[in-house]
Amino acid sequence: MLPTVTVDDQKCADPLSCRKCLLICPTHVLGLGTDVPIKKFRETDPEHFIVRGVRVDKCTGCLDCVKVCPQNAIQVSFSGGGAR
Amino acid sequence: MCEWCEKYGDGYERWYFNPGNYARRLYKIRKEEAEALGAEADPQAAGGMAFVGQDFLEARERGDVATVEQIKQQVEGISWITHFGQVLTLEEALKIVDIMYPIGLMTCACRRSMQGLPDEENFTCMGVGTGMYKWERWPDTYRGGVHFLTPDEAKEVLAKLNKRGLVHTVFTFGTPYLAGLCNCDYPDCAAIRTVVDLGIRVLWKGHYVARIDPELCNGCASCVHRCQFRALSFSPSKNKAIIDQFQCFGCGLCATECDQDAITLVERANLPALANVW
Repeated sequence: MLPTVTVDDQKCADPLSCRKCLLICPTHVLGLGTDVPIKKFRETDPEHFIVRGVRVDKCTGCLDCVKVCPQNAIQVSFSGGGAR
Repeated sequence: MCEWCEKYGDGYERWYFNPGNYARRLYKIRKEEAEALGAEADPQAAGGMAFVGQDFLEARERGDVATVEQIKQQVEGISWITHFGQVLTLEEALKIVDIMYPIGLMTCACRRSMQGLPDEENFTCMGVGTGMYKWERWPDTYRGGVHFLTPDEAKEVLAKLNKRGLVHTVFTFGTPYLAGLCNCDYPDCAAIRTVVDLGIRVLWKGHYVARIDPELCNGCASCVHRCQFRALSFSPSKNKAIIDQFQCFGCGLCATECDQDAITLVERANLPALANVW
């Protein structure tokens, strides 16, 4: 069963420095990217980094990412019930 | 025979031994072809978030084999024109270091994406060719900067990374232009992960297959953790390591770890059932 992983980017301000969810996920479901294209001659600002569920086929619904997030920014839901 | 060697070998034993494939001119030609097909051919975008389309995962989930196959072929088709890799042995990696220039040690985009790994811990990737001179123009692609290496320095780095258990791979950026010599592991390498978990061949197996000599294997199992492709396991009843040769990518990491010299690499081409298993 595939989950829906949602991340509130407003709450998750600097995932590149925090990265707690990336490291705790036992199956490495989450990935880090940016919500803007890269630009010449400058690094992307930290607030443009985002976390997404990129390999949701491997999500077991353990909710470790939800619990570890200091900003309470992650939600994981399975449409068939179970983890919320 | 490896179709890339056939198409781009130009008389060399392997396509990645052909110095012409490290020339930017070819990259330009192929990029136009890729763009004509509607592919995102911008090498700056490579690495990315290792996204796999939700449509693919959903089709897989509901057992829709036809859709899975269709998306897989589509993704592979674009990947093989723009950006894909092949596994190398350490010996092969050491050899190509002498034919590519310049060599820049840089941070791994995949590990940044999957672990948020800080730049200072992440110098495991080698960018090669004239593209490396663009590092100042694209600080986000080359986060952490670039350390240019002599061939001898590059060989030292490769040996160290092999010791650490990383798989050497060569990657195209606009096929057949080869511009990346990566050192990868599961699950953070997007290519290894995509091919192992989902069967989408953005990474091709190498030209070798590992073979265990049961007479020499003493059952120490020190090789088992080296395999990043789920090809190597340990048989308690035999008290030996065993290799699934159909799953083996031929990286040779198990062989370099074995102090009994019980593991050798044999040519894929010499095994009829494996000669076309890439």
